[in-house]
Amino acid sequence: MTGACMSALIARAETRGPEAGFGERIAENQRRVFQIAYSILGNAADAEDVAQEAFLRAYQKFGSLREAEKFRGWVNRIVFRLALNRQRGHRRRLTRDTAWQMTETRAMVDGAKGAEQQVLLERLRREIERLPEKLRSVLQLSLVEEMDAADVGATLGIPAGTVRSRLHTARKLLLEVMK
Amino acid sequence: MKDACEKWKDQLLEAELTEATTKDLEEHLRACTICSRELDAVRARKAQLDELLPLVARGAEPPADFQAHVLAAAEAASGASRARRWRVWTLAGATAAIVALMIGATMYHRAAQRIPEKELAAVQRLAEWRAPSDALLATPGQEILRTMPRLGESYLNVPVKRNEEE
Ligand SMILES: [Zn+2]
Repeated sequence: MTGACMSALIARAETRGPEAGFGERIAENQRRVFQIAYSILGNAADAEDVAQEAFLRAYQKFGSLREAEKFRGWVNRIVFRLALNRQRGHRRRLTRDTAWQMTETRAMVDGAKGAEQQVLLERLRREIERLPEKLRSVLQLSLVEEMDAADVGATLGIPAGTVRSRLHTARKLLLEVMK
Repeated sequence: MKDACEKWKDQLLEAELTEATTKDLEEHLRACTICSRELDAVRARKAQLDELLPLVARGAEPPADFQAHVLAAAEAASGASRARRWRVWTLAGATAAIVALMIGATMYHRAAQRIPEKELAAVQRLAEWRAPSDALLATPGQEILRTMPRLGESYLNVPVKRNEEE
């Protein structure tokens, strides 16, 4: 896609018809939505897929999601659910697949600087995977930028106080096991 | 860690996570080298965890053309659904027209084929008619040929046809 074509698309989406304002909503939410997916899935390609799917679903419902806050909460919940579904699919496949395929998948993880940090990050991800689901979800969502306890609670349907106490327990468990 | 120090383990983790210690713990740490060494280890792990944890979610960014990709996909999807709707309605219309045509044609055909009552009755009568000479064509042996003797009976035991009218 050319740059001119891209900006034409964005401009059109912002000025015309039922799609007006949708491009703006993507711009406001894309980083957070992507990070929610990435936190759960651990690789950028899957995270991008899932984030795109979340926005496409929001687009279909955009008539009732025009309000910025409404859009934000809705897209947080939907991307979280989509990422969890995909992660469950991965886990089922990983238990079937052989060990070398697993190492290959794991080696695709991005972002860490240096091999040593990469190894540690891998270990941390495995330890997070081992946490009880209630603690894991709270931790993964809390690690996303701009997600405070209230946002995490709204995404999971639990009070902010519960988010804080679960986050504390999760960090304590990790501090214990990451020796 | 010594068994006696086991009870301080949780407090060490709490102290490091909340950045607050209790008076009891501080006293114990001054007296116990094992626990103060353990606290150093917990502190190092905490620093490492603080460095690593954000990477779990923020280790990657959405690609620069993410927004454009989503918009293009959304446009394509809504274009496709518009086209799908159009196709569905066109197809439904065409199907309805064909069905209507077929029903019309069948009804016309049936109307054209209807036979008048009178003719039908004549045909029926013709089918049931027997010529008066049919009785003459019957041979005397016909009764024997139609009946099979049962075990022990004889072919010669010819049933005598009596004239019942007499
Ligand atoms: Zn001690």
